[in-house]
Amino acid sequence: MGALDGVRVLDCSDPKGHFAGKLLAGLGADVIKIEAPGGDVGRTYGPFLDDQPGPERSLYWWHYAAGKRSVVLDLQTSDGIELFLELAAESDIVLETWQPGRDHPFDPVALSDHHRELVVISLTPFGQTGPWRDYAWSDAVGLALGGPMSSCGYDNLPGTPPIRPTEHHASHIAGYFAATAACSALYERQASGLGQHIDISMHECMGFTIESSAPWALYEQHPLIRQAGRHAGPQPTEPWQYPTADGRLINIFGMPRSEASWLALVAFIQERGMGENLSDFELLDGRKRQLGLQQRSVAVMLDDIAEFIAANDAEEIYAGAQAAGAAWSTIRTPDECLADEHWHKRGFFVDVEHEERNRTVTFPGAPYILSETPWTHGRRAPLLGEHTTEVLCGELGLSDQELGALIAAGVAQ
Amino acid sequence: MTGTKPNTRPPLDGVRVVDFTWIVAGPTCTRLLGDLGAEVIRVENEQTLDSIRFGRPHPNGFDPPDSSAMFNWLDRNKRSITVNARHPDGLDLIKRLIRVSDVVVENYSSRILENWGLSYEEQRAENPEIIYVSLSGFGHSGPQRDYSTWGPTAQALSGLTAMSGLPEAPEPAGWGYSYLDHMAGFTAAAAITAALKHRRETGTGQWIDLSQVETGMALTGPATLDFTVNGRRYRDTGNPPGNRSVWPQAAPHNTYPTAGDDNWIMITCTSDAEWEAFCEVSDHPHWRTDRRFATLPARLRHEDELDEQIGSWTAGQDGRALMQRLQAADVPAGVVQNGVDLVVDDPQMRAREWTVTRDHPVVGEHLTDGLQIHFARTPAHRDLPGPRLGEANQYVFAELLGLSDRRIAELQVNGAMG
Repeated sequence: MGALDGVRVLDCSDPKGHFAGKLLAGLGADVIKIEAPGGDVGRTYGPFLDDQPGPERSLYWWHYAAGKRSVVLDLQTSDGIELFLELAAESDIVLETWQPGRDHPFDPVALSDHHRELVVISLTPFGQTGPWRDYAWSDAVGLALGGPMSSCGYDNLPGTPPIRPTEHHASHIAGYFAATAACSALYERQASGLGQHIDISMHECMGFTIESSAPWALYEQHPLIRQAGRHAGPQPTEPWQYPTADGRLINIFGMPRSEASWLALVAFIQERGMGENLSDFELLDGRKRQLGLQQRSVAVMLDDIAEFIAANDAEEIYAGAQAAGAAWSTIRTPDECLADEHWHKRGFFVDVEHEERNRTVTFPGAPYILSETPWTHGRRAPLLGEHTTEVLCGELGLSDQELGALIAAGVAQ
Repeated sequence: MTGTKPNTRPPLDGVRVVDFTWIVAGPTCTRLLGDLGAEVIRVENEQTLDSIRFGRPHPNGFDPPDSSAMFNWLDRNKRSITVNARHPDGLDLIKRLIRVSDVVVENYSSRILENWGLSYEEQRAENPEIIYVSLSGFGHSGPQRDYSTWGPTAQALSGLTAMSGLPEAPEPAGWGYSYLDHMAGFTAAAAITAALKHRRETGTGQWIDLSQVETGMALTGPATLDFTVNGRRYRDTGNPPGNRSVWPQAAPHNTYPTAGDDNWIMITCTSDAEWEAFCEVSDHPHWRTDRRFATLPARLRHEDELDEQIGSWTAGQDGRALMQRLQAADVPAGVVQNGVDLVVDDPQMRAREWTVTRDHPVVGEHLTDGLQIHFARTPAHRDLPGPRLGEANQYVFAELLGLSDRRIAELQVNGAMG
């Protein structure tokens, strides 16, 4: 069983909440995704199966909607909102992402007041209050305004802007806050019997996810310098990313701290006939190997290391350095991760049946292994309106006739 | 302030967490648990102190272990005790503490707790309902469980580093901080709250085995599926695309220079309506009818020219004023803010009291940053500063565990409380 078995989530979020809903589904909740007629906007996000767009061909949707059910309901109609409110009364959590002043089809606070046991989560760009409350937003704008992006970019390419990492990370970050809010509110409800409204500002979630930028800003009002592939800092530091013989890159940030590990790393390099200067007595002192202080000893060390990396293949360097106790890594692309048997042995990648296409698709799986309440990928992403009848007739008790009328009126699909 | 009326205490009120975490990933998790009302007890050791206790800046001068702003920021809302787990009496103290606690969190390498004699089975022998979270680079199973990571290592191995950068650059820009330390911490917090809910229902605890690299790979869904479904390798996609959009297709979608040194605005038009509104504000309404820019497919084909023209228009303009003009027309636009901007110059943060002043006996008066989750009935809190090393020894050993003063003195002398 899942940790959230028996919990019903009524999810009328847009892409801001797609990851939050996926997390709750993975923990075992029954997540009913309300889609507008024509389909959720996520179905228009690529990449697409065989590069052909279509509501059932979005790989974004396949990933983020997996394990959810799909009910099509037009919340901008009075019939649609009435049915939505009936479903809400039968649910434990409502997840919504409307900005408060933007054509909100219902009042989340009133909904929460009306159903005392319901947990209503409003996951919005800036929260329910404040001058930017209704500012137009995109994931990239969220990362720009919220702080994460300012630390990312190039020091060695003058004039280039800060760079925002791709893949909807504002929604990823906020998704974890929404999931944690949902679970902790349900935990509290078990004692009090009461639900509540929860206001999550994605902007504030971003503001925590900036690591050392925060204390430097809060205490010293001191901005950090962004640097390619490594931590932004108050002063410039040495590069961490070095090209390999096979055209890839190694990140050397995790330099050995202990003497034993350092000697093992030096032995690994010298067995390949390189790294003569690494035997330098001075480098036995861990402090003389510490990056970030612009030390002469480090410059010498990095010259030899760069030369060694340039002459060898990435995965071999990675395995040898890790065996020596150095937390070096290959800079992999997502497809390259699938070649590493470690993740398969742990069961990270999951095969999911897409029965109507007669194919099995490999997905990235759980972010955690829970021993008693295993995470589940769940069924393949729902087809548009796949569960409309099941939910509205089977669970809410509408007659076939009533549903037929709603479909004819364009309210359901 | 935390509520005092019935049913207004923070949601994790009454939950006790034994916190063996250090650096950033684990402490991110336990800070969030502390904000949500859990009593978080950091178990520290004077011989192997958390290096964050030495982390800069030190606003009142370098005087560790209690002078670090980094520590005080990341470890607020926690208590601290000093125990030596390698001393038999120290191990016994920890076991007693586990008996009266709900959650154990650690982010050491994968064999450390086992070596201490605190494997999940051994913890369960003390407390059958314990929820144990091990947060490591590679998890506690699999052929590479003894490999180790820092945030940047995990980012590189998960694919996330490669997915950030300019297409023509010789290397990715990656992440300028330990993003996956934060994300692994958030992941752990979500899992713990789910496990607490399950335990309250069933009386069953569990072990949550968390791999930091897996938390990163779980964020690469569409790119991974492009390979497993379409057979396309990431290097063949032309990505990462700088600040342009991968999906959804959108143009303009980029950063543009504004007045001053290294100031930028992100402008993203994800619909024709937003593009048309943008053109109105831009003083270049003819862009709308320009055949190169009239439709999204055309804008994507001529994205270099589009970006160049927009960049020459934004250059020299005040970024914040421009953001307001664009926002007034409903165009998604935002200046690139750094941490200082969030603290000093952000009217939204100010209106929601994102920072408040707190005091600390060594660091002094300081700002602490916001809560992200605003519960209407059971508010989270940010009342306690980061703990001084060992400040809760008396509370934990005498009050919680009921040791006599004499026994506490013995443990201080024999090294168990080192």
